[in-house]
Parts: sequence; structure tokens; C-alpha cells
Amino acid sequence: MLITRLHLPRRTFLRGAGVALALPFLDAMVPALSAMKNTAAQPVRRFGTVYIGNGKNMAKWTPATEGSGFEFSPTLKPLEPLRDQLVVVTGLDNWPAMDQGDAGGQHSRTGPAFMSGVHPKQTEGADVRAGITIDQIAAQVLCKDSKLSSLEMALDRTDVVGACEHKYACAYINSICWRTATTPLPMETNPRFVFERLFGSGDTVEERLARSEEDRSILDVITSEIGRLRRTLNPHDGLKLGEYLDAIRDVEQRIQRVEASNVELAVPDRPAGIPQTVKEHAELMFDLQLLAFQADITRVSTLMLAREISGTTYNEIGLPDGHHSISHHGNNPEKIQNYTKLNTYHVQMFADFLKKMAATNDGDGSLLDHSILLYGSGMSEGNVHNNLDVPVLVAGGADGRLKGGRHVRYPKGTPLANLGLTLLDKMGVPVENFGDSTGKLEVLSGM
Amino acid sequence: MSRRLLLGACAAAFMSFASYTVVGGAGAAQALRAPAAVQTTSAPQRAVLEKYCITCHNQRIKTAGLMLDTMDTAAVAEHAEVWENVLLKVSTGVMPPAGRPRPDKADRDGFISWLESELDAASAARPNVGRGTLHRLNRTEYANAIRDLLGLQIDGAALLPADNAAYGFDNIADALSLSPVLTERYLSAAATVSHLALGRVSGTPSPETYYVRTDLDQRDRVSEDLPLGSSGGLAVRRYFPADGEYSFKMKLQERGSGRFGPRDDPRQLDVSIDGARVWTFTGGGPKPAPAGDKPTASRAAPAAPQPEGDIIPNEAQRRAEPQQNVEDLLQFRVHVKAGSHLVQVYFVPLTSAYVEDVIEPTIRTKYLPGNGAGDPALSSLTITGPYDAAGRDDSPSRRRVFICRPATKDDTACAEKIISTLGRRAFRRPLTATDLQTLMGLYRTAADRSGFESGIEVALRGILVNPQFLFRLEGQPASAVANTPYRVTDLELASRLSFFLWSSIPDDELLDVASKARLHDPAVLEHQVRRMLADERSSALVKNFGGQWLLVRNMAGVTPNPEYFFQFDDNLRKGFQQETELFIDAIIREDHSVLDLLDADFTFVNERLARHYGIPGIYGERFRRVALPPDSVRRGLLGQGSILTVTSYSHRTSPVLRGKWILDNLLGAPPPPPPPNIPELQEKATDGKVRSAREQMEQHRRNPSCAGCHARMDPLGLALENFDAVGAWRTVDQSDAPIDASGTLPDGGKFDGPVALRKELLTNRAGDFVTTLSQKLLTYALGRGVEYYDAPAVRQIKRSAAPTNYRFSSLILGVVKSAPFQMRMARDLAGAPNSAGSTPGPTGSSTPKLVN
Repeated sequence: MLITRLHLPRRTFLRGAGVALALPFLDAMVPALSAMKNTAAQPVRRFGTVYIGNGKNMAKWTPATEGSGFEFSPTLKPLEPLRDQLVVVTGLDNWPAMDQGDAGGQHSRTGPAFMSGVHPKQTEGADVRAGITIDQIAAQVLCKDSKLSSLEMALDRTDVVGACEHKYACAYINSICWRTATTPLPMETNPRFVFERLFGSGDTVEERLARSEEDRSILDVITSEIGRLRRTLNPHDGLKLGEYLDAIRDVEQRIQRVEASNVELAVPDRPAGIPQTVKEHAELMFDLQLLAFQADITRVSTLMLAREISGTTYNEIGLPDGHHSISHHGNNPEKIQNYTKLNTYHVQMFADFLKKMAATNDGDGSLLDHSILLYGSGMSEGNVHNNLDVPVLVAGGADGRLKGGRHVRYPKGTPLANLGLTLLDKMGVPVENFGDSTGKLEVLSGM
Repeated sequence: MSRRLLLGACAAAFMSFASYTVVGGAGAAQALRAPAAVQTTSAPQRAVLEKYCITCHNQRIKTAGLMLDTMDTAAVAEHAEVWENVLLKVSTGVMPPAGRPRPDKADRDGFISWLESELDAASAARPNVGRGTLHRLNRTEYANAIRDLLGLQIDGAALLPADNAAYGFDNIADALSLSPVLTERYLSAAATVSHLALGRVSGTPSPETYYVRTDLDQRDRVSEDLPLGSSGGLAVRRYFPADGEYSFKMKLQERGSGRFGPRDDPRQLDVSIDGARVWTFTGGGPKPAPAGDKPTASRAAPAAPQPEGDIIPNEAQRRAEPQQNVEDLLQFRVHVKAGSHLVQVYFVPLTSAYVEDVIEPTIRTKYLPGNGAGDPALSSLTITGPYDAAGRDDSPSRRRVFICRPATKDDTACAEKIISTLGRRAFRRPLTATDLQTLMGLYRTAADRSGFESGIEVALRGILVNPQFLFRLEGQPASAVANTPYRVTDLELASRLSFFLWSSIPDDELLDVASKARLHDPAVLEHQVRRMLADERSSALVKNFGGQWLLVRNMAGVTPNPEYFFQFDDNLRKGFQQETELFIDAIIREDHSVLDLLDADFTFVNERLARHYGIPGIYGERFRRVALPPDSVRRGLLGQGSILTVTSYSHRTSPVLRGKWILDNLLGAPPPPPPPNIPELQEKATDGKVRSAREQMEQHRRNPSCAGCHARMDPLGLALENFDAVGAWRTVDQSDAPIDASGTLPDGGKFDGPVALRKELLTNRAGDFVTTLSQKLLTYALGRGVEYYDAPAVRQIKRSAAPTNYRFSSLILGVVKSAPFQMRMARDLAGAPNSAGSTPGPTGSSTPKLVN
């Protein structure tokens, strides 16, 4: 692959100084990639991530046997019907999430480190810093021409006060997707908003186009306003205003792409709001994710089923304690049982989603055949906040580039980021390294 | 020049302090604390340090990296950050640590007042008002601004994503970031809001659903907004954007047998708008409602027909009727006029008399909360509309926007007038010619295509995504010298004031005063502050400041384990929140001393809450004020269910959490985080017997490395052990032993039970409480974390409120008059933002920060 270093030192992202942070190096890559893309009918690849915070009961997660024909562990049982389309990966370490002299904040570091491989900076202020995450790296290439560059969704309400860890800004817990080293992306919890992001407002193409035309002229005006205003502010404030400018340019580009695509979509019923049970909520979000993939509105999506330190209770399956409390079982057998039950419940939701993906037609194959889905947690044993040997699995066919039906175990010390690197490669987004990666994973990378 | 009275040798120090404090000594009632005799040498203080501190904090041992032996007590200014930390630890009693020799009261007080005056003088000589960051409106402020700008009540949560919080509040400038997602939502929200405001509705109307929590007990009246004698249901105030038909659809709860079953008594479900009934339905009873009999789209749909002839219908026929039918019948359409209306959905019970029948106690199976068998309960209400909106009708927000009509088709004067008026309010300052030109450009393009109202709508959208609306822009005058403070303009001050007190944009009166450059006048400023506090919009302080400071906002998400607390339902959850909100609101409106937050002689309860608290003689849903005798355990915040519940786990109390809450939020002495890998508490002893909380935490006392912090926390929480995890009073705990609520603090304070704890806090820690509250108010008002260099301002706020015994308005005025609130630090315009700041800025140093 002729692409060389994609990974830039974090400083490049930080420098900014008001210039649009639209990663110039990728623009240079485009000619090479589009040549690649235009070869024989390459099906569109999708990448989805489903994240669960607070770790898992590893004793019930890790399959006892390795290789093909491995035995499904109790927690993974719901996925057994989809054996041939998934690979369980164990032994990887999320080392950047560990305490490196900045005590406390394990949960705050685990989420951002999961897909970035970077040790997040300990701060409560505006200077939050982690690293760009693999979903965003993928989005820059896969979704260059998509209506939406990526979709981030979550279930937990983020307005609970005092729920963040000492000395760490809540931004670290609220999101696991980082567009740049300093920009965590908000994750949408209301299915109605997600719907509007995907399908816009307005029932007909004419209405949507009229609206986007108006929006564009408004944004034009705002862009020049910002330019004018920045001259009256001090440089520091001007920089922050510049973020707004960047965001506007992003939105403008997207609007342009919408107008260019002019696709008549069969828009389903608009969801009313946030459903009452976790299961319904999750199902709705999964359905929206599937729709987004199916209609090719975006090709990268992340769903955080449970964030770190989640306080969500699961009364519907008889677990009235908060998720985070359940994960701190203190070696009490009954509590461990509850922990396993919850882990399995989440896996079940994912399995239902995979079944739908497998049943959705996508040209020559199902949607699942053409996707890569990463499921897991950045923490292994939640009770002791361990970040080594984290529970992850990969599902989907990656358009023939992922051989399923295996449990692959890696030796101690293998960074989790290597998995990300491998997956990016399978998506056709070759990156030399990112975060603390040391290379692609063997066995997995070579099919 | 200086209008402050000064005494003794402190003249010099205070004089220079006053010239930078833009307080201007408003009001003669500004009595001074008697200044300590200024030491020309600091020998006595040096002696205190030698005796009690330097044994550990010296160059040799370097305890906590603090080497007091190398620090010059005659030059406090040079290491203000370190000295502020010393002051914090000594004044909150953390240092010297438990078990070490402590200075007597006189020495301690002398040391503290010496250090305070030194630090204040240092700050006066080189003031630092902190670097502000560009501050965007958060979601709440956005919604309130829309309300005040357009007369439109919207739910911010329905339009915008949640904001990140920091330092305990969601209005901190640094944490309010931007992203393309947020920008999209701003665009989308602008369109939604302008459509709603102008009543321009088109296309398929989207449904809006209001949910009732499953754990709400619906056997009685559940809200003051519902009619007397009703049971269950919900009341919601909603904005109907245009005259037209709206559909209402009700869903019943599925659990229990909360449906109109054929074996139950007939039940009546009513819907009213603004108190007038628009629909009624009676279901249940021996003959179920026949299929296909849907109510027509007009008032008072027909009730299910009563059985004729046979009382006992055909069993097979009844079984053949699917339950789904009932759901289909629970919807109707009705014409509603544009504007804000109260929608009430409720059941009408047949009788409030007790049924002398088979006793059916409320039995909960597993974790199914809800009502007793047989009572129907509402699950949700979905309103969709308007259908066939009849064009541009009158509505309150239209009236607010359209203050004129164009005389002719090409008349732009009216458009200019409307846009200027809206723009001035939205941008919080009069529009410049350029502003107007820009917006008129948007107007003309749209108006040329689709007419006057369309033009106004697009211009309004242009206002709502404009950075001058979304951000609080504050300029820097050319004359400002880098790294010195300068005063913000009156218009900028007006914004700061209104977002502080109202979480919203300034009103016309405030803008007028500011435009005339009269706001900085101390008398005018004080008058405006008092006016704003008296205005009902200051309820934002209760919800936003109080709700976050005291964690009351978390009440909405609390789910106590029904296995242990099956009495807890949504009625109680709402009740707790309402009690605390009403309480704080009373403190503000009646301008109590803030110390009453700890020990007021009143609170607010309704029947449900009174029953929970054991207060006799209260009946009905309405919240009313009750007097509390001096020995009541319910006096003050520490006796309120909301606080007690949010500081507990779902299945048990946590004295540590409660102790920490008190240290964090009341005393300003937050404990450091726990070390990792702490083993779980042993809830059962080796013989399987359940242990009391005190027994479980014995490790905190036995192990010295635990005791260092826990000796300060645990006694506070243990004193509240008589309150269980949902705030009910108990005398035995989960181990069936009588509760021992006694405690001793490292500094010697002793108490037993909540009443004694209260007295201890008021007697010995009142100063810390006021300081903490001032810090929190300052954080909330400035939109940034409070740093060591703000400590002098905090002390000044406290001093200025002392003469009135710390009335709430005095603290607010103290904040408003403080230097950080009225001034801003000038930045170096030439350099890049990260250039080495010469003035101390917030550093990520390892010494602990001053505040939370």
C-alpha cells in the first residue's frame, strides 16, 4: 500500500490557531485512494462499534478453547448462531488506560483509550486531550462523500451531576469517539435527534432541498460574521470562535453533498422520544444504525450501550442496582452472578442486531457480510478496574476479508490498538500506526 | 477617592485593595471586621509555623512537597498560591493532622487573620481576575433565551444535546465545547423554533410523547395541576404552535392489571385542556367496549355503551375481544387554539369511599413497581399536530415578533424594525449597521421568494445561529494593558448579570440601563440586582444553581431498590425534589440568612411527604409550609429526603458518601480520592450476621492510612445514620441493632444525631459554610473554576455579607461587586494564545486547588 504515515503527532492537531482542522494530509491521499476505490465493483464497507463500559466478568466471557470450533462461553452464548461471522479476540491490553502516576480516573481513561490507544490527560478543564479514534480515522476515508461523516449514539443520560471522576472532566466519560486529539464527539441519546440527523426534517425531497438551501445561505452569512467578529476578540477567544467556524464548514459540506445526492428515501416513522426500557431504547438505536448503513447515509457508526460509570438500572431483568455498582461485586457470588447476567443481556442485544444485519440484503451479500463490527469493553475485570486482557470481539464479513468462527488469543502485552490497526486495514484504510500500536495482529490480519 | 472607612495601620493595605475592588463601598452598612494589628515583623506567625508545621514541612522531610522553612513570612506575595493552600488547610482544620499538637484558639485565629490580610494585600497589589474563555450558552440558557425572546416555552433537551459539566456545574465556559453535531442541532433548532414562533407549520406533524414513570402511584391525585378528586394521570403545559386539530393518544400501563378489564368496575378517563373537559371515556365493566366503535373527532366522545339485558355476557364473546381494542379507543382529535395550554389527563374514580370488600394489600412481585391490582394507570400521552393548520393565526409569540406590518409590498422599514428589536434582545446589545445589513440581506432573499413572513423567519434563524447570540462575546479595549485587569462594558456586565441570576438574556429594562452606561453605578447596580432577584425568573437560581450545587438534580434519576424500599415511588421522588426547590426558593425570596439552609424552622410538605417524614395532620397533594420545632430532625438541608437519597446507594445508606457530600458542598474541604483497589466492605460478619454501617467501616478507623481522611468524613455521615437510604427515620439499622449516631471530629467537635450535628456545624463551621457557598456562587457566576487567586475575592464576599448575618442577597451582591465578576484579564494581543503568561494563570500544579 503506497500510503505512508497517517499517524501525526498530537501536536499537529493541537496547533490549530484558527485554521480549519480539516486534516490536510488526507486530502493529499485522496487521489491514490479514489483510484483504488474505482476498481472493480468494490462493495461499500461499513464499520460499527458497540461499546459497554465497566468491564465484564472475564471468567464467563473468555471461551475455554481456542481456534476454530471453539466453545462459546456462557456470556457469549447468544452469539452462537452467528459463529461463522465472528471472531473472539482475547489477550489484548488497553495499557494506555492504566494509571500512570495519575491515580483515580480509571473509568475516565478507559473509554477514550479504547479506540485511540492514547493515555488521556488528567484535567477537569477545557484542555481535555486523548487521541483520534479509529472510527473517525475510518470515517475520513469511508465517509468522505457520505451524507453523514459518522454517527455517534449512546443510551445513558449525560446530565447527571457529580457523576464524573475526581480530577477528570465529564467529557471523558460522555464519549468514546474523538474526532481529533482534543475534540470528543457528543453522542446522541435521543432517537428522534438521530432520526433527524439521518433523514433531515421535511417529508419530500423538495422540502428538504428548500430547507438545506436556506440553511446554506444562513451559514454563508454566519461565516463572514465570524470572520468579522474575530478581529474584535483577543486571540484566545478568537480560537474558540474558530471552532465554530470549522464546525460550520463541516455542516456546509454535508449539506452540499445532500443536495448533490438527491436520493428519495423511504423515510420510516419518526420516533417519538426516548423509550422507557433499556432494551427498547437499544433496539431503536440499533435499528437506526442499520437504516443508516442500509441507506448508505453513513458508513461509520458507534453506539455506546453503557458508558463507563453507568448508573443505569435494568429492572426489566431483575437488576435494580446501577450498572457500575453491579460491576463492583466484591467477590460476592450472588453479585458476580448479576454481573454475568448483565453482560449476557448486552450480548443478547448485540446478537439480535447482528441477526438483522445478516437478514438485510446489500447487493451481493448481506449487510453483515460487508461490515466490520467491533464489540467490547476497554476494561476487563470491572471490580478491580483491570485494563489488561480486555473483552472484545469482531463480527461481520468485511467483504470476505475476515474469517469468522474463531477464538484467537494473543500473548500478554499485545496492545489493543493493534486490533484497531488490523481492522482499519481490513476496511481499506491503511494506517501505519496510531496510539500505542506496534503492528497488525497476526493470524487475524492474514485471514 | 476611596470611600471606605479604614482603621489603624491597615490603612495602606486596605487602601490599595479598595482601589482595585470595584465595590465602591455601596451602602454605609459595610462594617468592617476589626483588622488584626499588622505585624511589621511576622515573628509570632513564624513561631507558630516553627512549632506546629515545620516539624514535617521542611527541606529535609519535604512532606507533601511543602517546605515552609524556606518560605519567607515577610514576603507572602511571592508564593501566594502556596500560602492560600496553607490558609485553606489550617482554617478548615485539616492541618495540623489529627493526633498532632494543635495551636490554641488565640494563636490559630491570630495566624489565620494575619495570613488572610497578607494575602488580601498581595492580591490588591497585583490583582488577578482570572482568564475568561469564550463562553457559549448552555442548553438551559438557550431555552430560557428563546422563552424571553419569543415568548415560546420549549424544552431545551428536546432540541439540543446535553452539555458537559465541570467543577460541578454545566455552565462552565471551558467545558462548553463545539462540534459539527452541535452546529447541526443549532441549525435544526433555529428552524424548529422559528416555525413554532411564527406558527408556520407545514408537513407531517411530529408526535410528542410525555411519559409517566412506572413507579408513580396513581391511586390518588398526583399533581396540583390536576382536578381535586382525580386519580393518576399527568398534567403537562405545552405550547401549541398554531390553531388547528391535534390528536391525543393515551396508553395505559401494561403491568399489574392496569387496563380496562371486563371484570373490573367501569373506570372513567378524562382529558381536559385548561380545566375544561374535552374528552371522556369509560371502559371496563361487564361488557367490554365493542370493536370498531371509535370516537369522532369532536368534543366528548361517547362512552362505552352499557350492557342491555344480560348482566353476564357471553363468555366466549368476551374472550374473543382482544385487549388491543381498548388502546385503539383511547385517542381523539380536538381543535386547539395556538398558545400555551395545560393538558390534563386523569382518571375519575367512582368513589373515594373505601370498598368494604376482600382485603387486597399491595403486593409487589419481583421488581414490578406500580399500582395495586385492578387500578388502571396511565403510561403515556402522545400529542400530534396540528393537522390542517388554518394558516397564520394569532398566538402570543406571533404578537411578540410582529410588532408592525409592512405598509406596502416593498416596505422594508417594518422588517428592519422587527429585526432590530429581536436582534437587540438576542445579541444583548443594540445592532450595529453591519449587523442589520447582514440580517436584512437574509430577509430580502427569502422575502423576494416567499413573502414578508418568510423573510422574517429566515432572518430569525440567522439570529439564532449567530455567534453573537450563541456566545457571550466580550471585547478587549485597545487601551488594556496585557495581563492586567480591565472593567467589562456595561452591556457585557448586563449579560453576566442576567445569565447569573436568570440563566437567560437581559430584559429590556436591564438593557436600557446598560445602554445608557449607568449599570456600573453601585446604587443602580444594586437596585437592578434586587429587582432581578425578586423577579420570578430568578427561580433559575433554584433549579440550576441549587440543583447542581446540592446534587438535587440527580433526584430525577434515582432508583432505590424496590426490594428494600417498596414504599418509594415516583410521588415521593417528585415530592423530595419539590420540597428542596420550594425550600431554596423561600430562602431566596424571603432573603433569609444562608445559614438557615442548615437550620430553618420551616419546610414544605404534602401528604405523601408528611407521611414519610412522620409529620401528622397534612392531607392532600398541595405543598404547604410547615413549621418545625427546634428539636426537629427535619430542619435544614440535612433533614430533607432529596439530599439523603442522592447520597445513598440504591440498597443502603453510605455514611462515607454523606460525609463526603458535607465536606464537598457545605464545608469546602473535599477529601482526596480513594486509593485504587480498596476491598469491599464486609456486609456480613464471619458468622453471616449482617453488620451495621459503623461496624463495616471499622477498617477506616483502625488503619492509619485510611483514618487520615475518613476521620473527617465518617463521623459526619454516621450522625445521619438514622435516616435510611430514602430519608425515612429509623432507630434500628439493617443489622437490627439500635443506631449509634455519635461521632467525634479530629478537631474535637462532638455530636450525637442530626440535631447535634446541625448545631455543631452552625456553631463551629458556619464560616466555612459561607465561604463554600460563596465559592460555589462565584464559580457559577463566573463560569470557571475558582482558583487560589480568587480567594481574596471570596473572603471579601463573606466579609461584606457579615453585617447582615449573611443574607442571601448580600452574598449575591458580594459576588456581583467582586473584581472577577466586573473585570477581565487583558491578554497579550500580539502573541499566540499559548504564549507564556506572565501573570499566574490556572496551572495544573500538584498542589491541590482551592475549591471542589
